[in-house]
Amino acid sequence: MHTNEHTAQIEKFIIPIGPQHPALKEPGHFEFTVDGEIVTHASVRLGYAHRGIEKGVESRNWTQNLYLLERVCGICSHVHATAYCLGVEKLAGVEAPPRAQAIRELVAELERIHSHYLWLGVTAHEAGFDTLFMYTWRDRETVMDILEAISGNRVHYSANILGGVKFDLGEKEAQTIRQGLSFLEERTHHYLEVVSQDALFLQRTRGIGVMTLAQAETIGVIGPTARASGLARDVRLDDPYAAYDRFPVPIILDDRGDLSARVVVRLKELLASIETIRHILDDLPPGELTVRVPRKIKPGEAISRVEAPRGELFYFIKSNGSEMPERIHIRTPTLCNMASVLTLAVGHHLADMPMLLAGIDPCFSCNDRGIVVQYGGDDHDHWTWERLRQFGIDHYKQLESGVF
Amino acid sequence: MITLPPIPLTSTEENPLNVTVSALELLPTVTRLHEQRWGYLVAITGIDEGAAANQITILYHFAHGATLLNLRLTIPRDNPIVPSLCSIIPAASFYERELREMFGVTITNTPNTDYLFLPDNWPTDIYPLRKDFQPEGVGA
Repeated sequence: MHTNEHTAQIEKFIIPIGPQHPALKEPGHFEFTVDGEIVTHASVRLGYAHRGIEKGVESRNWTQNLYLLERVCGICSHVHATAYCLGVEKLAGVEAPPRAQAIRELVAELERIHSHYLWLGVTAHEAGFDTLFMYTWRDRETVMDILEAISGNRVHYSANILGGVKFDLGEKEAQTIRQGLSFLEERTHHYLEVVSQDALFLQRTRGIGVMTLAQAETIGVIGPTARASGLARDVRLDDPYAAYDRFPVPIILDDRGDLSARVVVRLKELLASIETIRHILDDLPPGELTVRVPRKIKPGEAISRVEAPRGELFYFIKSNGSEMPERIHIRTPTLCNMASVLTLAVGHHLADMPMLLAGIDPCFSCNDRGIVVQYGGDDHDHWTWERLRQFGIDHYKQLESGVF
Repeated sequence: MITLPPIPLTSTEENPLNVTVSALELLPTVTRLHEQRWGYLVAITGIDEGAAANQITILYHFAHGATLLNLRLTIPRDNPIVPSLCSIIPAASFYERELREMFGVTITNTPNTDYLFLPDNWPTDIYPLRKDFQPEGVGA
C-alpha cells in the first residue's frame, strides 16, 4: 500500500536555489538535497551568463579579441586582457617593455584590491553584517577612483594592448595612488580587526566550511580559497609573469581552512598588494610602453597563466598563422572553486549555504550584448548593438572635433 | 598492462612539455602523475581539427610550479570516446562536462553528464565549439 510515510522514506527533499540567486547578484542554479536543515547533497547548474565568447573569438581578429576577452568579466577584466596579451606576445615572439609589464602588474594589484573589497562587502552582507558591507563599499570607491584617474575607466580599464600598455604613470598619478593606498591600508587594518573580533561575524565564519589541506588538493581549489587551507598555490610566485619577478608579492597562507581563514587571507592580501604597488611606484622602470606586434600571429600554441583575484586564470591560445585565432580556451578560477562548495555543503546547515558560496568569491561574469536605457518614468528604449556602436563612434568623433 | 615510456618530468628545457598519449595510455599516465604527486590538473582543452581531418585533439594540462605538461590525445571526430579521469581526479568532472557538451565527446564513466553551460533544451546533436557550428549573425 502506498502511504505518505513510505514516500517520505524514499523521496529526497530538494531545495532549488536560483538562477536568481539570493546570495549573489549573478545567476547560478543550485539544488540542495536536505535532511531537515542539514544538506546531504548539492549540485550546480551554470551557464546563465554564457555568451559563447570562446566561439566568438574564432571569428574576430587578434586586436578585436582583446576587447572581447576583457569583457569576459566585469570585476577582473584586466587579468583576462593580461593573460591574453601575454599569450599572444609569446606566440608572436615579442615581449612588452619592462615599464609596460610593471604597469600591468600595478593595475592587476589595484584590481585585486577593488575585487577583494567588493567581495568583503558581499560576504559581510551575507553574514547579515550590512554596516560592514556599506563601509567596505564606500572605501572601495577610493580604488575605483584611482583606476578611473589613471585609465579613464572604472570597470574595463583597457590598460593592455598587444605588445604593451596604453597609458603611462607620471608623478601626479603616483601621488594620487599613494594617497588612496594610505587610506585603504588604514581601513584594511581596521577591517582585519573587525572580522577577527566581532562575535556575530565569527559565529558565521569560524569553523564553517572547513577544508583541510588534503581536501583542498583533492578538490583542486585555487587562489585565496586554496591558500586559506594552507595550499601554497599562487601563479605570481610559481610562474612569475609581467613584472612579478622584479616586484614579487609575498604569499599569504592560513592553515585553518574555514570561512574565517578565507576572509583573513583576502584581507592580508590587500595589505600585500598595497605594499607591492608602492614598490612599483618607487622603482618604475623607465622606457617605452609598447613594442610592435604583427597583425598575423605565427602558427603555434601558447599557454598563459595569471593570478586573478579569485585564483589561477588559464588561457590556451592556438594560432593558425592568420589574423584570427584558431582556438582560445579559458579556464576561470570559479570553475575550480565551485567544486569545493558542492563538497563542503554536505553536512552543513542550509542557512550556511549563501556564506559558503560567497566564501569562494564566485564570479559568473554576466554581460549582455544589448542595453536598456531608462529615461526617467517608464520610458524604456531598447538599444541594439549597432546603435550602441554608432553612438560610441559619433561620441568620440565629436570629442575629436572639439565640440565638447 | 601497458608499459609507458619514462616521462622526463624534471626537465624544464621545453615548457610546456607535450606528451602524446593514446586513449588506452591516458589513465595509466594520469595515475602515475597522481601517484608521484606531480602537479595538478589545470584544465582540459578540446580542439576540433575540422571535418576533413576527422580529428578532435584533447589536451590535458598539468602544472607543477612553472612547469607545464600537456597530455595530447587525438581521437576520431566521428567516434570521439575518451575515458574519464574522475576516478583519479574528481575535480575533472566540470572540465569533462564542458568538453562533452561543447565538442560532443563521449566520456566513459564520467559521473555527471548533465549540461553545465548549455540550456536544457539545447539540441543533443549540435556541439557549439565544433568548427562546422556557425551561430547566426557571426561574421555579418
